[in-house]
Amino acid sequence: MDHSSLAGRIFRGVALALVLVFFMFPIVWILMMSFQTNEQILRIPPHILFEPTLSNYQALISGQLRTTAGNLEIPFMRNLMNSFVLSSAAVLLALLLGVPAAYAFARFKFRLGESIAFTLLSFRFAPPLLVLLPLSLYYQQLGLSDTYFGIVWVYQLIALPLILWIVRGYFEDISPDIEHAYRLAGHSWREAFTRIAVPLAGPGIAAAGLLSFIFCWNNFVFALILASADKQPVTVGALAFVTASGIQYGQIAAAIVLSVTPTLLLALYAQRYLVEGLSLGAVKG
Amino acid sequence: MARLELNSVGKAFGAVRCADDLSLVVEPGEIVAVFGPSGSGKTVLLRMIAGMFEPDDGDILVGGRSIVGAPPERRGIGMAFQNFALFPHMSAQDNIASGLRAKAKGGELTSRVTSISRLLKIEHVLGHMPRELSNGQKQRTALARALIGNPEVLLLDDPLRNVDAKLRYEMRLELPSLLRRSSAAVLYVTQDYREAMAIADRIAVLIEGRLVQVARPEEIYARPASVAVARLFGDPSINLAEVTPHTKQADLTAEIAGTKVRLDPVDQQAADHGPCWLGVRPDDLVVTRTASEDAIPARIVAITPMHERAVLLLRFADGSEWLAALPPDSPMASADDGVFVRFAPEAALLFDRATGLRVGLPHRRQAA
Amino acid sequence: MLPYLLSLPALLVCIAILVPFVTAAVYSLQRYRLNLPYLRGFIGVDNYIDFLSDPAFWNTLRISLVYTALTVVLELLLGLGIALLLRRPTRFHNAVSIVLLLPLMTAPAIAALMWKLMTNPSFGILSYLVSLLGVHDFKWASDPSSALFTVVLVDVWVYTPFIMILLLAGLRSLPRQPFEAAALDGVPASFVFFRITLPMLAPYIITASLFRLLDSIQQFDIIYAMTQGGPGDRLMVFQVQAYLEFFQYTNVGRSAALLMILWLITNILSNIFIKNWLRLRARAHGHG
Repeated sequence: MDHSSLAGRIFRGVALALVLVFFMFPIVWILMMSFQTNEQILRIPPHILFEPTLSNYQALISGQLRTTAGNLEIPFMRNLMNSFVLSSAAVLLALLLGVPAAYAFARFKFRLGESIAFTLLSFRFAPPLLVLLPLSLYYQQLGLSDTYFGIVWVYQLIALPLILWIVRGYFEDISPDIEHAYRLAGHSWREAFTRIAVPLAGPGIAAAGLLSFIFCWNNFVFALILASADKQPVTVGALAFVTASGIQYGQIAAAIVLSVTPTLLLALYAQRYLVEGLSLGAVKG
Repeated sequence: MARLELNSVGKAFGAVRCADDLSLVVEPGEIVAVFGPSGSGKTVLLRMIAGMFEPDDGDILVGGRSIVGAPPERRGIGMAFQNFALFPHMSAQDNIASGLRAKAKGGELTSRVTSISRLLKIEHVLGHMPRELSNGQKQRTALARALIGNPEVLLLDDPLRNVDAKLRYEMRLELPSLLRRSSAAVLYVTQDYREAMAIADRIAVLIEGRLVQVARPEEIYARPASVAVARLFGDPSINLAEVTPHTKQADLTAEIAGTKVRLDPVDQQAADHGPCWLGVRPDDLVVTRTASEDAIPARIVAITPMHERAVLLLRFADGSEWLAALPPDSPMASADDGVFVRFAPEAALLFDRATGLRVGLPHRRQAA
Repeated sequence: MLPYLLSLPALLVCIAILVPFVTAAVYSLQRYRLNLPYLRGFIGVDNYIDFLSDPAFWNTLRISLVYTALTVVLELLLGLGIALLLRRPTRFHNAVSIVLLLPLMTAPAIAALMWKLMTNPSFGILSYLVSLLGVHDFKWASDPSSALFTVVLVDVWVYTPFIMILLLAGLRSLPRQPFEAAALDGVPASFVFFRITLPMLAPYIITASLFRLLDSIQQFDIIYAMTQGGPGDRLMVFQVQAYLEFFQYTNVGRSAALLMILWLITNILSNIFIKNWLRLRARAHGHG
């Protein structure tokens, strides 16, 4: 491949450039829009060079949107906060529930364990509404609808299979003899778990946690059904915001930028583990 | 210190019986090698003693107290693993100290780590992480970790398997005195009969989950309990011929490839035993150019230098092939030469053809 | 005892999934409308039978399948092509592959909003660009004739990187010897690609495609955020239809039956998927 022809190299270069333009352009364009006033956005033809403004971000952060029709309250910062709270809580809960279970599934081959692992895996691929719609009726009876706990609980559907299967793989890769050796040295299984197994599976646990966070953050349909305005994360909030603000395109772009920045940063940070996480642990990068 | 006792220990995984009625006593300060081919249940046996799984039947006692059902950390057992099983996220020092954290603190801990690592010559690498250690250093670290807690029972699972030949040779010389210092009851698993013979006070031969012979090394070599044991000890392995011994004028004889050879009269009772295997170790064969009445004519097929000896592949008139190991100073023959093979009557071992057990031994247990 | 104790919490989550699932199965056999609770009753498979003669159902099935086929095929071809371009693990290629993951890491619902802004008829940059090409008044998602094209485009933008990154990992994990041998023998590139690369990459291709197939046939976020199933019923895929049946027409029984059918399809696919996935997983963990 090093000795490909000049034509081949040019073709590859052009193809790669087109690919980069297609996948990067929307992100770059929206980022540019978020620093423009509505007037600048509506200019035709659009200008590549413009005087950037922070007014869109100021409006979002202050929560006050001044329009010709008067002042509009926007709860966008609250949505952002909700996303942080819901995703972090969901990941913490999933780690708490999932890591010990992953350890049990990796170390002891027992039928119930396999059933749980595969049920969670297969529901990862079942239509989410199938579970969500009846659940929303149960939630109303249980008083769980529109509570943080209720939403965090259904986020387990996203986070738990991911953590369970990725971390399980990491535990399986640790030789059981290492834990046996630690126990023979006079330590209980709990010490062997916390001082040997968990530290050694650490990178996997961290990766699974980060990815779960990204996927919880990016989720839309769960909160759409179970959360009302003051509990909504950014994904649902941004959509509501589009409907409410109408033609405030600069603010919409800024809202989009704020909504995706945390996950994009996390993704860049955790890129080494993305392949593994995206394939639920089946492919290592 | 305490002795280790196994009483009729049995264990099966599904239909596979990995341990079948195993009984064995290891005295404090004694080294018993558990030797057998791979898959014979050696590792399962160690793991049952260590508490990684429990026996289905029988009992395991340390110092007269049963340890069956006790968690591994309360069995008073030290173990060195074949793959070392060092904690990859801890320094060699911490690996070794982990065995003592529960029992000793501060100054005493450090001084004991220092003394054991001096003994094992790994003082200079105590600060290293396992991935920075050579295999030999890993193995010594693992040994130090197993020894430091002064366990009553020490289990060594083929500890020299993954180290290079030179180190294995050194450790074979070094280990017995090192292990004896601890005065623990030592069970040493190996797949190498020479290692077993070099290190152990006694060898327990494990074949298909059963202990077929437990005896001192030279005893096992000289008087193996069965054909299978005889074949496991010795390299090149023992020569075998199908014979039916009979008595002729007070002499016990057998016919090999048409030649009548005299056998040891001690094995007199073999006379009416019927079909047997006759075994002769390659080292016990004498190869000459001169014919005699009880020498078996043979042709040299190939000559292979091996260790400090030459190994001859011989073919008899009936087509059967034997190996002879010659000392280095013997006059070298060349391939295709016709020669004559003799052995002393007491060098021949007779085994029952059906059971494989040695003829003339008291039958402690009939094979199934 | 211990393993059961450790997996107890996970078991609870499992139950929390299975109970609503069974409930949905029961609802699908009922006449159950939230606005007419007194009519509620068991009607066997009537909900399902009604679908047979309902053109809306057939439209949903058709749109879902067309959407799935289009997105998976396009993403597979594009993803494979990009993976091949980035195959050599140079620093530049690695940087590109990471940057290309960003669309995949944006929330699909947000990605739909981004494209909505870019395809806005009055100021959208894409509308402007196609007008430069002489296509005026291209209405993107709001025109029935181009709505499917638009959402497929967004789906391709979001999910092609998924296929790309999996196949790239697969390509880079392939043993070198067959390729070196082929290069020494002067085997033509097309032969190498079709007879060596593709067959060896097959497990990755199958797993990645099934992954996408399963997600794509259930697509909700992009379509809902973009058009809510419209214009008209042009993009009324399974989950959007079920959502509207439930919340707009409050017909729980019908919504549940629709989802059960979707579940049946995905369940068959996911069983095939899990088999392939387990094989890849065993390979990644060094005992395959």
